[in-house]
Amino acid sequence: MTEKIAEKPTSTSTSTPSGTAVEFRGVTKRYGAMAAVQNVNLTIRRGEVHALVGANGAGKSTLLGILAGRTAATDGDVRVFGQPLTTGHPRESKAAGISVVYQELTVLPALTACANVFLGNEQVRAGLLDEREMRTRYEARCEDFGIDIPATTLGRELSVASEQMLEIMRAVELDARILILDEPTAALSHKERKFLLELVKRLKASGVTIMLVTHNLDEVLDVSDTITVMREGQIVDQAPVDAWTKRSMVQVMTGKQELLQVVRDRSSKASHPVVFSARNVTLPGAIEGISVEVRAGEVLGLAGLVGAGRTSLLRSLAGAESKATGAIVVNGVEFALPRNPREALRRGIALLPENRKTEGLALGMSIGDNVTLPMLERVSRIGLVSGTAQLSAAKEMLTQFTLQRPVGTYPVGELSGGGQQKVVFGKLLLADPEVLLIDEPTRGIDVAAKVEVLQAVRHFAEEKQRAVIITSTEIDEVIDVADRIVIMAFGRAVGELDNTSHQVAVQDVLRLSFGVDEEEE
Amino acid sequence: MSSSTTETSSTAAVSTRPPAPDQTATRRGITLQKFGRDYGIFFALVVVVIAATVVYPRFLHWDNLSAVLAQNAPLGIIAIGMTFVIISGGFDLSVGSVFAAAGTTAAMVAVATGSVALSFIAALAVGLLCGLVNAVVITILRVNPFVATLGSMTFFSGLILLITHNSPVTVSDSAFQWLGTGWLGPVPVSVVVMIALFALGWIVISKSAYGRRVMSVGGAKEASRLAGIRVDLVKGSTYVICGVLAAVAGFIAASQLGVGQGNAGVGLELQAIAVVVIGGTSLLGGEGSMLRTALGLAILATLNNIFFSLAVDTNWQGITQGLILVAAIAFDQYLRKVAPK
Repeated sequence: MTEKIAEKPTSTSTSTPSGTAVEFRGVTKRYGAMAAVQNVNLTIRRGEVHALVGANGAGKSTLLGILAGRTAATDGDVRVFGQPLTTGHPRESKAAGISVVYQELTVLPALTACANVFLGNEQVRAGLLDEREMRTRYEARCEDFGIDIPATTLGRELSVASEQMLEIMRAVELDARILILDEPTAALSHKERKFLLELVKRLKASGVTIMLVTHNLDEVLDVSDTITVMREGQIVDQAPVDAWTKRSMVQVMTGKQELLQVVRDRSSKASHPVVFSARNVTLPGAIEGISVEVRAGEVLGLAGLVGAGRTSLLRSLAGAESKATGAIVVNGVEFALPRNPREALRRGIALLPENRKTEGLALGMSIGDNVTLPMLERVSRIGLVSGTAQLSAAKEMLTQFTLQRPVGTYPVGELSGGGQQKVVFGKLLLADPEVLLIDEPTRGIDVAAKVEVLQAVRHFAEEKQRAVIITSTEIDEVIDVADRIVIMAFGRAVGELDNTSHQVAVQDVLRLSFGVDEEEE
Repeated sequence: MSSSTTETSSTAAVSTRPPAPDQTATRRGITLQKFGRDYGIFFALVVVVIAATVVYPRFLHWDNLSAVLAQNAPLGIIAIGMTFVIISGGFDLSVGSVFAAAGTTAAMVAVATGSVALSFIAALAVGLLCGLVNAVVITILRVNPFVATLGSMTFFSGLILLITHNSPVTVSDSAFQWLGTGWLGPVPVSVVVMIALFALGWIVISKSAYGRRVMSVGGAKEASRLAGIRVDLVKGSTYVICGVLAAVAGFIAASQLGVGQGNAGVGLELQAIAVVVIGGTSLLGGEGSMLRTALGLAILATLNNIFFSLAVDTNWQGITQGLILVAAIAFDQYLRKVAPK
């Protein structure tokens, strides 16, 4: 074990890389009918920094997950330094010399910084932990990298940036030959980011092959040797870094626009009264100083990359984030941001959450029970729920949806994803909010149900002249349903596009999301 | 209150120093909450012991203390195993049944063969087997630990009562009773065994790579898996340890009484969990220590001794134990809420 340190200099001397580190051959990953990654052929050269870029759902993280052993490939081969890799087992990947720094972090709160670095790689002497050895090596690494985290600091006391440093140290301690970084800088401040990128360059100089996924295209251009662009689970282009600009990357990652043709009123809502506005909403670590307003009958779309803070914004507005600050104005009356969902509902703000199964439905109860859950008083007499009143209320609410199941008895858990979404939606419509916030309404549901759900969103806004804020990772969908689109990136609102006079192009949304200046080139 | 909030926020601050050397490492001060969480249990013990000496002046006399320790040795040994299970994020309700089954089996083997060594081995084998059953049901069949061990609790105890026809097995061999009633100098053998096992448990949990993995599996299952730890193996192994230790406890108890009884361990599982939790080990898993369990045991044993000396209705013991258990958890939850993260 102790020779590891001594070996390091030799690997530095071979820093002029030759040969292949990783090879994907015909790799496919299917979830049900959907292919997250489809027939990917990709070669990563030894000792390079190879960046994968693409829009939401392009398959970057899935591809890295296969290499890391987090998920198993449905089809195809992965070779690491010429040896075939059995995918789906983190231990196998680790044994092949692969280390991963994950987007969501894996530092254990109850262990010290030093213990976290050696997690799964504990140094042992005579059967017991060799704390002194680990401490010495930890401190040497810190010294070497210029990191200042006391060895005894507990995981729960660390900042996100510190956790990330520990994960990189963990990888280095494992003598990783391939380091995977999945959105390593998303949660970091500017200064911390610079520091991390310096670290990446140093690791590369010591012979480590690095695969990087990030939405930050400036970083990609800064540290990468090769850039591969993915779109819809496939590789669309690959070239050395010099051949790329931010603009050209965005151009390649944009597919053809596929709209669902949701029927809607294309007139401008600019003259309508403002129903709802949010001022200076901040959630530490997620979003900063966001202000939006929505007019009567208007659907406002939030577009942005995964992690841009769209969900955080909606949750903050709906009182689901207790640490959020800011103000809201509902029909001309100003309030502080709701502190809990109950208060938000009292102000007329309802959220259709991202995760319908755990946050929106009681899966064992019937369709009717679910739909009438928030308004049981209205269907009850002398405290007892009236079956007939409940049934008719539920039926009325669901008329706009095709649900070929008995409303009174059918358990919601046995409906399809689309069916469930319709029930959640029906439930919210019955509560009749002033402001409806909708997060990822179409995830995992089929196209017909998608159209129905989006149509119902339009219908709700237009008929009742209510305000709707909707977001989806699918940019096409936001364009499909929204009158106006606010683009978010890195926790801030970075632009706004009008979608009534002429249709917004996906390319424009992506350009703003990735922070590509119009003037570039 | 306001001063403590500022302190807690400084603890959570960034302690990485990117190239610019302006941000020095933080968290020099220890907050009151953190102090309460780390040392509160120790002060609780001091208070209880002072109370005990006040109401029962003979409390600290060695003849009393050694009797109290010997009486609580089986519970303490079970709690050691329970600490492993709980730190790994699990739960074991079957320890009382394993305790009874192992003690009874030992008594039967001692009667049948006349060999104390064989009877001890038989008890360990019962514990090992029961622990393995729990481990398989929980990690391979993926049954929730609560349900799995609730099931195995009634299964094991039903089985041993069926085999013994509900009747106690009496052993008259004095060698069999050595572990439970013998003395090593001034110290009861059972207490020596308990202390040795506590020390061993402490070394394994706090000083071995295995212990660190038990902790990481309980703290973050997926993160541990991604770090290449065999999560199921680690989790399962804690049930085996727990089963074997419950068997040791069962043997000692049978040896103390000279009787193996199929219904001996009723309620013991809840007491063992109470000992662990009162010590401050989180039921959520991922943290805790053997020292905490030892302190939890000391508190509970002292309280019971107070009640015993006052000759109050034994039902008060149950009532107080329940109150203390809930108070300990509520206190822990409160500290979690006010302390950082």
